Amino acid sequence: MKCTVCNYNSSSMDYADLGGHFIDMASESDADHIMWLNRFITKSKTGRQDLANMLREFFELNESGLKRWIINRFVSNFFSEPPHLFIGAMQSPERKVLLGYVVEHHHFLKQWIKSCAYVIAKTDNEDVQMYEMENIMAEMHGFGSKTPSHHELLLRMGESLGLPRETVLMSEPLPATRKAIELWGNLSRNSHWIEIMAAMHSLELIATRGLEKYGAKYSYFDPAIFQRSDIPNEVKDFLREGYDADASHSDEALNLIEKYSDEYGDIQAIQATFIRSMVAFDSYLNARLERGEQYENEL
Amino acid sequence: MKTNYEGCALCDATWGEYWREIEGQNMFFCCNICADAYENMIGEVKKKTGWEELDYVEITGNYRLGRTCRATKGDSEYKYFFRHENGNITQFEER
Ligand SMILES: [Zn+2]
Ligand SMILES: [Zn+2]
Repeated sequence: MKCTVCNYNSSSMDYADLGGHFIDMASESDADHIMWLNRFITKSKTGRQDLANMLREFFELNESGLKRWIINRFVSNFFSEPPHLFIGAMQSPERKVLLGYVVEHHHFLKQWIKSCAYVIAKTDNEDVQMYEMENIMAEMHGFGSKTPSHHELLLRMGESLGLPRETVLMSEPLPATRKAIELWGNLSRNSHWIEIMAAMHSLELIATRGLEKYGAKYSYFDPAIFQRSDIPNEVKDFLREGYDADASHSDEALNLIEKYSDEYGDIQAIQATFIRSMVAFDSYLNARLERGEQYENEL
Repeated sequence: MKTNYEGCALCDATWGEYWREIEGQNMFFCCNICADAYENMIGEVKKKTGWEELDYVEITGNYRLGRTCRATKGDSEYKYFFRHENGNITQFEER
């Protein structure tokens, strides 16, 4: 079983083994493992067997399957009441929030295409390869001058808000972004392609419409923004691109993951890798806010 | 300095065992990050209020959403909100 926090991976399929690992790490006062337990399982110190039972419950798929489990976890982390702070800030975004978005997301996208490329390199399934190729093109390359890449639209959004693209391209990511990028790089190098897909494409759920049917209390932003005259068109173009595209992106990816997961066999590894990526993404979204606060004073 | 938590002075978790002397008092934390955040937060309160020491700190909230707090010194009270990232204070405002 794989740990949701570190590279621990044992051949044992017993949750008592994973529980024992968490207890060992907690007894060393390891911040990352304790924070994870506090957040997802319990704040109260428990014994190995009780913890094993709680972990089993956490990973339990029920009848609805892996795709639904991933969506449920994601929705409750970002779109429940109260929502993630970045989601809250996006409901009616101030300039500084969008500026922070531009800079940190630039770094995110540069890693993104590398992870997609790892999937292509590690599989022979053409439907998966086609999906990733299309994704790389849409995110970073674009399809001719009439259909610029998501990255290009991001830079144009920044420019419309007074943030020169050179500033973005020459920036260094904030620590939380850097830490997340390192994680995505590492797991892309070392994990099975299906785990990489689960780690990366689940994140596109952030901009997916229609999550209300899975219990979401919020959407990524309030679409009323498209009607606002005080918002530059470049901002609308960027948000609209994600609004239209990511809906099918994440859904298609989760279908592919579910399709090939039985063949892979190790469902718990897919779940653990997804959770690890989601927690990194959560911190990365906070970095967008942190960067916005910095820029409010500078630009 | 008294606090409202029985577990870790910052997050109330009973996992871990990390002790640090803060304000001359040996305090229990679950990990070094919580200890860093707590210590930095107390420093910020002292800076804002000019108090040399605190009698009591009450915390509600969590890492994700930030923490709403109340500190007292004698008859004086100070209410504030803060967030931390890796133990460093990223947001601090009087509420
Ligand atoms: Zn671990
Ligand atoms: Zn703690």
